[in-house]
Amino acid sequence: MVLQGLVFYVFAFITVAAGCMVVAARNPVHSVLFLILAFFTSAGLFVLIGAEFLAMILVIVYVGAVAVLFLFVVMMLDINFVELREGFLQYLPIGALIGLILLIELLLVLGGMRLTPELTRQTAAPIAALAAESNTHALGQVLYTRYIYLFQAAGMLLLVAMIGAIVLTLRSREGVRRQAIARQVGRRREEAVELKQVQPGQGV
Amino acid sequence: MAQPSHDFALAAPEMVLAAAAMLLLMFGAFRGNQATRVVAWGALAALAIALVLVLQAPAGRAVSFADMFVVDGFAHFAKALVLLAAALGIVMSLGFIRREGMERFEYPVLLLLATLGMLMMVSANDLLALYLGIELQSLALYVVAAFQRDNLRASEAGLKYFVLGAVASGMLLYGCSLIYGFTGTTGFDAIAATLKAQPEPPLGLIVGIVFLTAGLAFKVSAVPFHMWTPDVYEGAPTPVTAFFAIAPKVAALALFCRAMLTPFAAIVADWQQIVVFLAIASMLLGAFAAIGQNNIKRLMAYSSIGHVGYALIGLAAGGAGGIQAILIYLAIYVAMNAGTFACILCMRVRGDMVEGVGDLAGLGRNQPLLALALAIFMFSMAGVPPLAGFFGKFYVFVAAIEAKLYVLAVIGVLASAVGAYYYLRIVKLMYFDEPAEAFERRVGGEMAAVLVVTALFVVVFALFAAPILDGAGTAAQALVAGGKG
Amino acid sequence: MYVAIVFLPLFASMLAGFFGRLLGDRGAQLITCGAVSLAALLSLYAFYDVAILGHTQKVQLFEWIDSGSFEVAWALRIDQLTAVMLVVVCGVSALVHIYSIGYMAEDPHIPRFMSYLSLFTFAMLMLVTADNLVQLFFGWEGVGLASYLLIGFWYERPSANAAAIKAFLVNRIGDFGFALGIFGVFLVFDSVAFDQVFKSAPGMAGRSFEFLGWQVDIMTTLCLLLFVGAMGKSAQVPLHTWLPDAMEGPTPVSALIHAATMVTAGVFLVARFSPMFEYAPNALAVVAVVGAFTAFFAGTIGLAQNDIKRVIAYSTCSQLGYMFFAAGVHAYGAAIFHLFTHAFFKALLFLSAGAVIHAMHHEQDMRIMGGLRHHLKRTYVLFWIGSLALAGLPFFAGYFSKDIILEAAWAVHTGVGNFAFVLGLAAAVLTAFYSWRLIFMTFHGQPGARAPGRAAHPHGHDTHGHGSHGEAHAIHEAPPVMMIPLYILALGAIFAGLAFSDYFVGAGREAFWGEAIKVLPENDSIEAAHHAPLWVKLAPVAAGLIGILAAWYGYIRRPGLPGELAHTHAEAYRFLLNKWYFDEIYEFFLVRPAKWLGRLLWKGGDGRIIDGFGPDGIAASVLDLARRTSLLQTGFVYHYAFAMLIGVAILVTWYFATGHGG
Repeated sequence: MVLQGLVFYVFAFITVAAGCMVVAARNPVHSVLFLILAFFTSAGLFVLIGAEFLAMILVIVYVGAVAVLFLFVVMMLDINFVELREGFLQYLPIGALIGLILLIELLLVLGGMRLTPELTRQTAAPIAALAAESNTHALGQVLYTRYIYLFQAAGMLLLVAMIGAIVLTLRSREGVRRQAIARQVGRRREEAVELKQVQPGQGV
Repeated sequence: MAQPSHDFALAAPEMVLAAAAMLLLMFGAFRGNQATRVVAWGALAALAIALVLVLQAPAGRAVSFADMFVVDGFAHFAKALVLLAAALGIVMSLGFIRREGMERFEYPVLLLLATLGMLMMVSANDLLALYLGIELQSLALYVVAAFQRDNLRASEAGLKYFVLGAVASGMLLYGCSLIYGFTGTTGFDAIAATLKAQPEPPLGLIVGIVFLTAGLAFKVSAVPFHMWTPDVYEGAPTPVTAFFAIAPKVAALALFCRAMLTPFAAIVADWQQIVVFLAIASMLLGAFAAIGQNNIKRLMAYSSIGHVGYALIGLAAGGAGGIQAILIYLAIYVAMNAGTFACILCMRVRGDMVEGVGDLAGLGRNQPLLALALAIFMFSMAGVPPLAGFFGKFYVFVAAIEAKLYVLAVIGVLASAVGAYYYLRIVKLMYFDEPAEAFERRVGGEMAAVLVVTALFVVVFALFAAPILDGAGTAAQALVAGGKG
Repeated sequence: MYVAIVFLPLFASMLAGFFGRLLGDRGAQLITCGAVSLAALLSLYAFYDVAILGHTQKVQLFEWIDSGSFEVAWALRIDQLTAVMLVVVCGVSALVHIYSIGYMAEDPHIPRFMSYLSLFTFAMLMLVTADNLVQLFFGWEGVGLASYLLIGFWYERPSANAAAIKAFLVNRIGDFGFALGIFGVFLVFDSVAFDQVFKSAPGMAGRSFEFLGWQVDIMTTLCLLLFVGAMGKSAQVPLHTWLPDAMEGPTPVSALIHAATMVTAGVFLVARFSPMFEYAPNALAVVAVVGAFTAFFAGTIGLAQNDIKRVIAYSTCSQLGYMFFAAGVHAYGAAIFHLFTHAFFKALLFLSAGAVIHAMHHEQDMRIMGGLRHHLKRTYVLFWIGSLALAGLPFFAGYFSKDIILEAAWAVHTGVGNFAFVLGLAAAVLTAFYSWRLIFMTFHGQPGARAPGRAAHPHGHDTHGHGSHGEAHAIHEAPPVMMIPLYILALGAIFAGLAFSDYFVGAGREAFWGEAIKVLPENDSIEAAHHAPLWVKLAPVAAGLIGILAAWYGYIRRPGLPGELAHTHAEAYRFLLNKWYFDEIYEFFLVRPAKWLGRLLWKGGDGRIIDGFGPDGIAASVLDLARRTSLLQTGFVYHYAFAMLIGVAILVTWYFATGHGG
């Protein structure tokens, strides 16, 4: 039990610290790396509460795909981030003030939070106990029944994202040579190669 | 484990739109951009079918998908309005996209998907459903705002809208998580039940509502979450702006009403102050900031901010009267704005769109009919009786007075007096100033139809208002009763 | 059916107005005439069904305004009063429509004219079928608008425009009172529907409210306010000045609007509100005095006018006065009866005058006419019929209605009644005199014998010799399309009184009017009138005969006499010629001070104070504020995001500060 608590605090601390560094790091590549660190430690937190499916998804999707994509984008774009930060200091005092006020207020709010028994009863989603069923199985069961509406809606959302990405970036340029596989495959020897009987020593 | 009930028939309009969007997308992908017109008409047909489904749906409240999706009289009214507004938006853009090289088949599909998101917003009965509906709508609109990707201003508009929208979404989600944390549920009905059992709402819940309201206020562009509106309205292609100005406003305000009244009906006094603040700030800013504008689209942006302020008065008033007033206001607002933007879309000089307010000078002499239509809309927006705009404001103010929000009503009247100044300035420009260069006379059949229909609506509303008033009344009753039950 | 009666004219008006160019002149005439004639036939049936058989009803059209306790439904109230008005309005309107085909044949704007006429008919029908005050007001303003449009129909003429504006402005004064009356009724009775108002009217009798320390009777106040509206519309002194000027409009318009229908709306209003007026005896006394005075006053002016249409216009004014004082002495039935017969003979007179004017190529000065009876034989006969009816000679329509009015005035035996009776008798003499003066000047004698200096001649006919004036123009009788309506009206002018006298004011009147008109039993002056002594019954006829004889003496026997009289009593003559100097008095006391005030406010108020304060004051600070708010819009995304964050912070802090929630 003590070990679990210790691990939790270690992971939690690293997550928060990495989150801060994402914002604070000077080099954008470092920012993305800190983001990856935050993902990893959150995955650890998920494992700790027994949600191994979520932990794996987090590592595979976020670390494996999203964060690496970020890394590529950041490294390929030629943006001078230092220049972008110039306004930062100018607004720091008032920004810090607002942030501080909000932070204090939110801490007060969270401090006042109490988990009443009725609340915890409502929070529990109708899934079987972790021991009885595998994580993946349990998720699948609610995802396609209870949450079918949200699942479908999310699907439409991704469709829109895909259309949007294509609309905003795909350009059909003129004069670009493209691979026409069907034509390549359908080509026969007669069209491609002409055999000439060349006598030695005579030239064509 | 109990299986939640899924009544798919309740979501028939949404499913029609989703299926149509995917079919039209496939069709467009195979036929290329020359099929845009067909796709657009297909989208209109889908909207029409959805409208029929909405109109003939049985009355009464029904929930489905584990109480996440609700259909009641309020949803019917708002959905019908959204579908009509979306159809108007698509019709108005037909000519523009052909002329301005925006003729790509994704455009109507994206608008259709945005409309789908709006319907989901209207029917959302759960914080998650609310969030997904908003995101679906917004994401599609971010893309259409930047649809002219080679136009620097349009791209900037799209990007700004996207970034700020993400911030707003963040606030909204934060609010949702706070509400979830303090009530233990995301369903509106369940939250209402929890709150009724508690003597006093926890402060964290109020803070959650503030954040939630901030996210919603961004979507309806209420002050101080309005800052994107003028830039995006000005930068986006004009028909897109027209669409922004009518359809999402209706959906977002309807969602706003439901998200306040259904779960938080028990603590009206607590969130009322937020809405009052938003309403006052929006009305005042909308009235004052519009005065200095020289770009008509920017002016319309401030005008719409002001209008949202008036509509929010109805929500602040709460109760069936207030909600009825909002719905009436929205119906009138859609007609006025669609008509005004149709006029703006007719502002072409030798093939190029112009957007300056000064370009309207002398329109009364160059194109008397167009000028008359625009004058009707401007008078209506200014709230001159007996045009429709007057009744919109009238009902809202009456609702405020009945709810004893006298200060709000007085500020509203004052703001509309200031606001009348810039509407009437346009009328003055059109009729009393030296003519600027004449616009192209060819207006196009669709645009003429939109102009005539909306202008007629605005003019004769006073005589034939009864069905709309009754419909809005029943819808409002349904929402208020649903929140209590 | 009632819906068809009311909306057919509107439909026709819209068709003729919007598609006039498409339909052509002929099409517009056919559609409007057809629609209004159909409405007229239907209304005849309606009259039979409602007034004779007693089938009153209400046709609900739709809800109109529903705001708080202010509920207004759009309904047609079809009772006996409405049925009478339907016949008058639709009947005269249909005849005038047909007549206009001939009269306006040479006008370039025929569809517009026909459209306005039909629009007017619709508005008038809205007015008479109204079931509540708001609907009534709608019709009231509608006829005002149509009247304005039609008076100014020949908008190229400055005088027509001026007359239209004058009519509009004077009517505004009346309408202001009327609107105040409506507000007052709503305030007092909490409803604008006739049924509720009339039901609760008895309970309000005698109640009073305090105004500036005075105890004022509620019912009297409300009725007087409504009567102010009626005065404006029905051209009663002192709001009568617009009516003669309104003769600038085409003659069919004068016949329809300014003789038969619209100007009688005021009488209709008083009759419709008889359940309220019955409880306001003081208001009724005012109505009677104003009516009696107008009857006499307009008659005197009619003596000295030379424009053929103006004479008839003052005669209308005077006859309206009769109707009002009839209503003022509780004889509402008699007032409506006179309205009914008057519609026939006055429309007949106007349209006949139109035929004369048509024949004279739009010449209206009687001094230039003369001897026309040889050329216009039929018109001459029609004029006689109309004038006999107007003067109230026995067995013509006017005899029955005018007699009963005067008898009722005598029979109430009050000071006001006697005042009305005496002035009414005097007016009867005057009426007969100026009617026959008109006939003698127009149809007898020599053409142009009385013409003043040629310079006054508006059409510049200087080249024609004195005596050859008529011949030079080949005076001709009007075409059949104009004459046939005249014959129909003439039939009405002869028989309408005889045929309906029993229903309107005779023994059958209670069965006939039913609930539509309310007279308290102790006030039943018509009943009392039937028991008047013989001399009272004969006096009006005698008055008429005296007037005719005087006219004959002055214009046939001794043609020089009027000129001599005018000469010897120059002051009196000029007093009458200038219409008691009413226009001059208004000019001096109202128009000039108003202009002065306007100039003061414009130069001093608007120029110095508002513009002075404005640019430096409110307007400038608004603009300044506008500029500042625009400055907030920097265009930087992070500013915007920051604004949002500040907004949230303020709201959250607000809740912490006010301590809402737990």
